[in-house]
Amino acid sequence: MAKDSVLNIFEQFRDDIDQGNDRRERLIKVTLSPNSTTARVIQINHKASRDVTNISKKTIFLLHRIVLEDSPDDHALALRAASSARGRLSEANAIFAGMRPELVGDRFWRYQRQVSPGLQEYIEALSFAHYVEYGSLISYQQVQDALCDADGPFFPLTISDFLLGLSDLTGELMRFAISNIARRGGRPKASQVCAFVRGCKSDFERLTPYVRDLSKKQAVTANSLEKIEAAAYAVAVRGSEYDLPPEMLDDLVAQTTAKFNMADGRRERDEGYIESHHGE
Amino acid sequence: MDPLDLENLNNLLEHDVGVNEKIKEQVKEFDKKIRIIVGILGKIHSTPTASMPELLDSVHPVLLSCQDITTSIADVIPPDQFWRWKDMWSNSMRTAVFASALIEYLRNGSLLSLPRASEILGIKESWKDRFLLPVEDYLHGLISMVNELSRYAVNAVTLGNFEEPMKISNFVKDIFSGFTMLNLKNDSLRRRFDSLKYDLKKIEEVVYDVSLRKLVLPAKPLQ
Repeated sequence: MAKDSVLNIFEQFRDDIDQGNDRRERLIKVTLSPNSTTARVIQINHKASRDVTNISKKTIFLLHRIVLEDSPDDHALALRAASSARGRLSEANAIFAGMRPELVGDRFWRYQRQVSPGLQEYIEALSFAHYVEYGSLISYQQVQDALCDADGPFFPLTISDFLLGLSDLTGELMRFAISNIARRGGRPKASQVCAFVRGCKSDFERLTPYVRDLSKKQAVTANSLEKIEAAAYAVAVRGSEYDLPPEMLDDLVAQTTAKFNMADGRRERDEGYIESHHGE
Repeated sequence: MDPLDLENLNNLLEHDVGVNEKIKEQVKEFDKKIRIIVGILGKIHSTPTASMPELLDSVHPVLLSCQDITTSIADVIPPDQFWRWKDMWSNSMRTAVFASALIEYLRNGSLLSLPRASEILGIKESWKDRFLLPVEDYLHGLISMVNELSRYAVNAVTLGNFEEPMKISNFVKDIFSGFTMLNLKNDSLRRRFDSLKYDLKKIEEVVYDVSLRKLVLPAKPLQ
């Protein structure tokens, strides 16, 4: 067999392999063309999945910050928090829109692993905003609807990404509940969150055999739940024994919650996340 | 979660499990066939050239029956979901390519092309979004073939076939230079390609031994 024909065959493979590798890179770091309309909205070149992760994390911090502001009207505060969060997340939407052509047809499943990490972080932020506003769990359809523009969905939403994203929400809600307990009048809200997280955990339980890594996340959820319960317990026990006035109780609880050392836990987890999910 | 939503998600996930199980069943059958084929092909090392066609003919029906497997798998894959499930059978597929390519070399001394490999395994162009033979899997199959040929070069000499190592050497060198054209990323294909040089070396040594002892005439006799 002539050497040339062998080399010809391999030349085609080179193009095929290069194309796959380039696309994988682009999905981790998509660059939108400067003259497209989406690029004008976000002004700068954006790098897909990794940037979605960053935007989503910032959105989550934003939500935590706003809901803890002092305000006479908690409901108005929640609405403001949710709408600022949505504003932030629309930047991520522009990036998703830019990824669409890379994920048409059978390409979606081929490159799904490149999309997942950012997408799950996005779902975590979106569901947090949804919870702050409505006090309920966002549905699969609502998430898919958020991942759309006038041309339809950016790509199909997998149930696995949906559930894994929601699982991360419980960790955020733990922080949310515990910082609420320390606030004046925040205790009923904390017990609402406690019940909600408990509900999530039991709902996800039956789905764990089907979704990879969900059982790991369930363990984390169990952990978060325990922390909320411990805090609620501290409030109940001390409250009943000493019959304290609510203001003193607030101070007492503030001391208890400080033990959970939230800031450190959060940082460690996030750094671990970036390393483990964007290794390639 | 809304109970209806939960039920709905549960059903969808269960459906995926159904697809998964059907594929698993087929892959199990696929592996059985592959084992038979590899078992028979193991005998090439002790088969004289004259009896080779007969041996290769005996593999043919089993290889042909793999088409039933690919058809059954393609039938259960939902549109556009090839890449979601392909890891389940890529190992079997690579071995099937290996076997087909080895047979092609032993029969005609030529390299089996990717479209031809797809054809042998019954993979149809119209399945494009559900089932195909990816370049990576095909290349893995070729590397396995080179691994096998380096052994065959040695054993052919033992059987008195002194020309074979020369043919293998030329054939494998072409494939090797083909691989060097590719920009492989740091994955299993890259690592296996890196190990090809040891096969090349082994074949070279056989060629050297054979020519040194004048067991084979040079291609163009010097006179």
